[in-house]
Amino acid sequence: MSSPFIVDAHVHTGFPGMFYSPEVDARSLLLRMDRLGIQYAVNLGSMRNLLGGSLAEMEKAQAEHEESEGRLFFCGFYDPHQGREDLAVLKRAVRLSGFRGIKIHPSFTKVPADDARYNAVWKFAKDHDVPIVSHTWSVSTYNPVQALSTPDKFEGHVKRYACVRFILAHSGGRGTGRLEAIRLAKTYPNVYMDFGGDIYCRRYFETMAQEDILDRVMFGSDFPWIDARSHLTRVYLADIPAASKRAILRDTAVKVYGLE
Amino acid sequence: MNVDRIIEKRASEKLVRILELALFDANLWLGKPLFFPLAEELLPSELEPLLGKFHIQGALVSHWDAVRLSAQDGNQALMAASKILPKFVYTVWTGLPTTPREQGPLPGFGPSDPLVRGVRLFPQTHHFQLAPWVVGELCTWCVEHNLPLFLWHVEIRWDDVHAIALAFPRLHIVIETQWQKILYHVRDLLSLLKTCPNVLVESSNFIGQDHITQLVRSFGAERLIFGSFLPVNDPYAAIGMILDADISPQEKALIAGGNLRRLVEEVRT
Repeated sequence: MSSPFIVDAHVHTGFPGMFYSPEVDARSLLLRMDRLGIQYAVNLGSMRNLLGGSLAEMEKAQAEHEESEGRLFFCGFYDPHQGREDLAVLKRAVRLSGFRGIKIHPSFTKVPADDARYNAVWKFAKDHDVPIVSHTWSVSTYNPVQALSTPDKFEGHVKRYACVRFILAHSGGRGTGRLEAIRLAKTYPNVYMDFGGDIYCRRYFETMAQEDILDRVMFGSDFPWIDARSHLTRVYLADIPAASKRAILRDTAVKVYGLE
Repeated sequence: MNVDRIIEKRASEKLVRILELALFDANLWLGKPLFFPLAEELLPSELEPLLGKFHIQGALVSHWDAVRLSAQDGNQALMAASKILPKFVYTVWTGLPTTPREQGPLPGFGPSDPLVRGVRLFPQTHHFQLAPWVVGELCTWCVEHNLPLFLWHVEIRWDDVHAIALAFPRLHIVIETQWQKILYHVRDLLSLLKTCPNVLVESSNFIGQDHITQLVRSFGAERLIFGSFLPVNDPYAAIGMILDADISPQEKALIAGGNLRRLVEEVRT
């Protein structure tokens, strides 16, 4: 078998609580990566970390980075409700060798993405040259908090902090948010997206190719929610050139998260 | 070997293995999709090339009008489409309680339409209880015709399905994993499979890690049937889950098409 080359740009660790998942920890994730030919993964936050920045969780993630011999990278988390405390954690975490960015989640923290309370974390990302990745989705009739994370709500920050690499996780979801994600990526060169989760939209890759933004798209599984195998076959068999598949499966994430 | 060559090689290998699966799709939709504003409408005339593109040899088709408008509108649209449906493509009609008797084409009265191979209920959208005292007559009719009953998980309460499955042990009940994630209900789903051997699962959004392997190990490959959710979803998502699952080739073949073919063949039209 050839050497693993794929980057999974969207994983989590820890018991999700709200659903059943047979494997949730870093060691299981590594074994899974070996089986699927995945070289690196970016942990966008343990479930515990998504409740607010925690130095202990950052140190645990760093230990996992070292135990994995540099294959598991991680992000910190910023909750505007406890901005000062989270920035203090991020200031320590940014010095850790496996640290690669900051996750925000407007729907989870219930602070809309365009709120001025995010200014501090965007400035932090600029000052430390690290990307920001956010949960994004479409307006949802059955999950109203998703309206806090629609891609258009990030535009002010994206524009103001044009040097900060910004990743729209889930590509704006399965509805009209995806059109907004595409518009942002076409307008701003610092905008990227992953299709972690059940973003199985037909012609997703072909649409991104037509819009000339395939080089902004990254593979992400959303472990432990989703099995990476649901995405890999569709990337391999998409009607796009092999070089674009390489960018999706590896190159773009390596560049955006600075993995090599 | 450079990465592009590896990617091309893997793509070729996957295509060969997909052909071996002999796919038969339980979840394909004609008409303008509801809930997914960016998804394209699928016309009956587009079915044959679409199935060919994804190496799907046969399918059960449903119609979005059944949800958007009414059960009868959906069934009428399927009747209209049936004249030009490709070979090995059959229909899933939408049912209502048999009392009161309502106008329009509905399953449960007399012989079924020759192309019908399944009945679906939308208890929530169409405002009725999924209980034996409401849908019992229709369930009995389905058993008489050996027609499987399809249910979106977002339309049911798990207690209700459990009661129906126990009351009608010869009725095949297929729990469909759309149009929202079934992931958050898998604890209920697996318990239902354990207690009700006549319950099966459709696979289009059964995408939790190792869920296919676990279902097969615990309950057998006969309990899962492939669904693409075309044209909303990329079918290679659901196909990839079967293709790369840690189960035997025989088990993959059952899930990909064998189980559904058997259900289709057993229908008494």
